[in-house]
Amino acid sequence: MTYAQQKHMSYWILVLPGILVFASIIIFPVLFSFSLSFTTWNGYGMPTFAGLENYRTIISDPVFLHSLRNNLLIVVISVFGQIPLGFLLAYLLHRSMVRHGNFFQTMIFLPITISPVVVALLWNQIFSSSGMVVALVRSFTDNPQYVIRIFEDQQLAIVPILFVLLWMHTGTYMIIYYANLQKMTPSVLEAAQIDGASENQMLMRIILPSMIGTIATTAIFAISGSLKAFDLIYAMTGGGPAHFTEVIAIYMYVNTFKYYKYGFGSAASIIIVLLAVGLIMLLQYFSRRLERRFE
Amino acid sequence: MKRSVTIGKILAYVLMITFTLLTVVPLVWMILSAFKPHALIVRQPLAPPFTFYIENFILSWTQGHLGIYFLNSIVYSLSATFVTVGLAMSSGYALSKFQYRSGRIIYGFYTLGLLITVHSVIVPLFIMETKLGISNTRLGVILPYIAFGLPFQVFLATTYVKGIPDSMQESAIIDGATFLEVFVKIIIPVATPILSTMFIYTFLGNWNEFILVLTLTSDMMIRSLPVGINSFAGGMSRDYGLQFAALVIGTVPMIIFYMIFKDKIAQGFAAGSTKE
Repeated sequence: MTYAQQKHMSYWILVLPGILVFASIIIFPVLFSFSLSFTTWNGYGMPTFAGLENYRTIISDPVFLHSLRNNLLIVVISVFGQIPLGFLLAYLLHRSMVRHGNFFQTMIFLPITISPVVVALLWNQIFSSSGMVVALVRSFTDNPQYVIRIFEDQQLAIVPILFVLLWMHTGTYMIIYYANLQKMTPSVLEAAQIDGASENQMLMRIILPSMIGTIATTAIFAISGSLKAFDLIYAMTGGGPAHFTEVIAIYMYVNTFKYYKYGFGSAASIIIVLLAVGLIMLLQYFSRRLERRFE
Repeated sequence: MKRSVTIGKILAYVLMITFTLLTVVPLVWMILSAFKPHALIVRQPLAPPFTFYIENFILSWTQGHLGIYFLNSIVYSLSATFVTVGLAMSSGYALSKFQYRSGRIIYGFYTLGLLITVHSVIVPLFIMETKLGISNTRLGVILPYIAFGLPFQVFLATTYVKGIPDSMQESAIIDGATFLEVFVKIIIPVATPILSTMFIYTFLGNWNEFILVLTLTSDMMIRSLPVGINSFAGGMSRDYGLQFAALVIGTVPMIIFYMIFKDKIAQGFAAGSTKE
């Protein structure tokens, strides 16, 4: 065997097993799902071609539109809640604004290890009528009859879920930004400090501009993560009551595995992917413009 | 000037302490409630346990079949993680040090994979597994775990191996080593730090995974801990004591895992966001 042959063969031995698993379990099903989305099929017999019928039904379905709204709210709380808060916490740690920073960091990052299902059931207990929130409100106010009514409100039922999502993920962003802040060359900041730059100026003129790339990357994770939100909501409310807290992934799950509408469910999942790609492209457009402005 | 610094410091502490309490208080409340009988939880949610009511743990462990779920979770997480990390590492070496044109295409496919969610393949995956006869088997769970772990781990491995100097590989090749020998004897030992990060990060993801097991299995004997704990929320048990005990059983091992490997977990998250 020549050197070139040996190299070529080694390459394929190293790369092929992974790509086979990846292609057969992810690439092929994605294509399968895409073609299935143009059919109606209940799992038996042959799928019948339906054109864009599934997509048309979905986008005129009020349940879907409410799910979409909830998903977009999750995107908003991730991008404009978790990311700024995570950044703020990371910044405070990085600039050593508090003592025992390591302790705080450990505690705030901790929720990431807990399974979303456990998180969901724990917060359900906290919000329940015999839970911590109700008990605290009752003992601090004169209202012994206090109960949480927010889950009965179609518009607001999603709010406690948004709060729990914030609770779960802010620490992750903090960790990511903290690691990236540590990588900045300290000499730049020291020089600015010597030149008399204020804390504010250093943040706005030096630190934030150099972090735009990282923030954009994390925003991509936040958007795709928000659109696939499933575990926590499924375990917390199952999308209920009356679809109030439903998101697209649950909409897809229910239609597929409860009503056996495979084509319809596939169309819903394709919509999730399209939305993610669309929002991410929009984000990249804006972050590129921002980066250019600082250059 | 000095005053604004102090106000800033106070605000910093307020923020840090608020977030810390938000983590600690619910968890402490959960652990305390797990030692209380149902009636006491409902009547006095904030009271500490007067006696350590261990029955909750015994009953939820046996009635909820948590033992078998726990075992399944260990089997799934360990086996899928080993294979994912192994495949990702070998791909990472091949994609960063061989300079074939196909390498760039394959890397592009893995990058696309980062955007694909479990939901967009779950329907066809379910159908495929049913046709192949591996739905409702352990293999049917492990294979998707491996596949979904790959994109990000290939990314981590490729980035890391790229940073290993070419000269190490070249001198070994000149001495007559094959490329596979280089992989086993040079690349893997040098890449140990990233390997442990990859392993711990992947393990954590697999351990907490929910929707794949939920949809691809229906047999209780092969389901994992998150699905088992979730069944406490449904009609199975209205006993809050059992539910809290199950939550503690699901949480405490992970908190210990976290306390040991926190830095590695943090590295895994941070590594995905660094600019190149």
